[in-house]
Amino acid sequence: MVTKKLVLGLSGSPHRHGNTEQLLDRFLAGASDAGADSEKIILAGLDYSTCRGCNACHKTGICILSDDLNHLFTKILDEVDILGIASPIYSMNVTAELKGFIDRAQFIWSQKFITKTRSYSADHFRRHHAFFLSTAGMDDDTVFDATFPTIKAICNNLGFSYSGNILFHGMDIHGGIQGHPSALSEAFDAGKKAVLNLELL
Amino acid sequence: MTYTILAFAGNPRRHGNSEILLDWVLDAMQNDNEVHIEKIVLVQSDIKPCRGCNSCEKTNKCAIRDDMDLIYDKICTADCIILAAPIFCMSICSQAKALVDRAQLFRSRKYVLHLPVTPPGRKGKRLGLFISTAGQDWDYVFDGSIPVVKCFFHVIDIKNRDIHYLLINKVDEKGAVLSHPDAKQQAEKMADSIITTLKTG
Repeated sequence: MVTKKLVLGLSGSPHRHGNTEQLLDRFLAGASDAGADSEKIILAGLDYSTCRGCNACHKTGICILSDDLNHLFTKILDEVDILGIASPIYSMNVTAELKGFIDRAQFIWSQKFITKTRSYSADHFRRHHAFFLSTAGMDDDTVFDATFPTIKAICNNLGFSYSGNILFHGMDIHGGIQGHPSALSEAFDAGKKAVLNLELL
Repeated sequence: MTYTILAFAGNPRRHGNSEILLDWVLDAMQNDNEVHIEKIVLVQSDIKPCRGCNSCEKTNKCAIRDDMDLIYDKICTADCIILAAPIFCMSICSQAKALVDRAQLFRSRKYVLHLPVTPPGRKGKRLGLFISTAGQDWDYVFDGSIPVVKCFFHVIDIKNRDIHYLLINKVDEKGAVLSHPDAKQQAEKMADSIITTLKTG
């Protein structure tokens, strides 16, 4: 029996329906078109605290904080096949909202490397793919560079292969994502392809 | 002549490694009676993430009312601005990222509205110092944070050549920097160098 793939889009933008969220919406639409279930989480709409750096998870593997992120991490770890991580570029990296989410995954890092209660097989990584979607106002193709180590780190923590980037700079000169000649259709195609690639396994 | 040092402790864990480094720098600076120091602890401050509303591009004012109201003014008048933040997931922690993102007001002031950032008639160099610590021993662990920090200092009118860096890696557990062979000496030397540069222009 073939089960439907679940594609989750995480939007780290503080304002709704901006360039990055529109890009994510097309990615999710492409995934749905390929037969997957798709869901979107708006991080700015959740109630969560930033990591306190208390390192309690280094002993227990469990985060001492209890808020909306607990359920979200469980869902990503247990149910999601494809993750679309979306954030506009603010000051050369992801937004504080997305960085807040990423920092809170420290308990998973602890489970992997300190308490040794979690590990991912090569097959797990082969079946879980993450994509980074971003837009930037500046017309400079190096504007995304500083985000890659952070996105790679969160993908490793969550057990997802960092399978690709869907990035568009120069939003200011294009007058937003709608003015870009191919961004939205490329995102749709990427979402569709991401699901089809998993179906082939 | 009084030199004003404005220091941000961005660490969520009070008196952890990056704050210890910061305090070493500030203690060494404190020996000079012409130096006035103000230290702001971000986790004790109310600093909301930037909403990306772009209203500052029109109004030259941030739409959010919180502790940044006062901090914006302090940033404009300080002679040296210090940002201390640990590396979480290959960039600065989200608390510090929120501060950096809120400096968008200065970007708007400088590049969109073409207004001065510092008070009219202000003379002398403005210096920046980025203090950071990381648990990993990789030499590239700070790389993702540097473009973010440069962005912060550039918009508040501190040039590349006036940004100093005090970066210590391989310190993870609380207080690990206390056993580092020469971190304290590096901090004291940095303090001395900054004060000398401020005084000699």
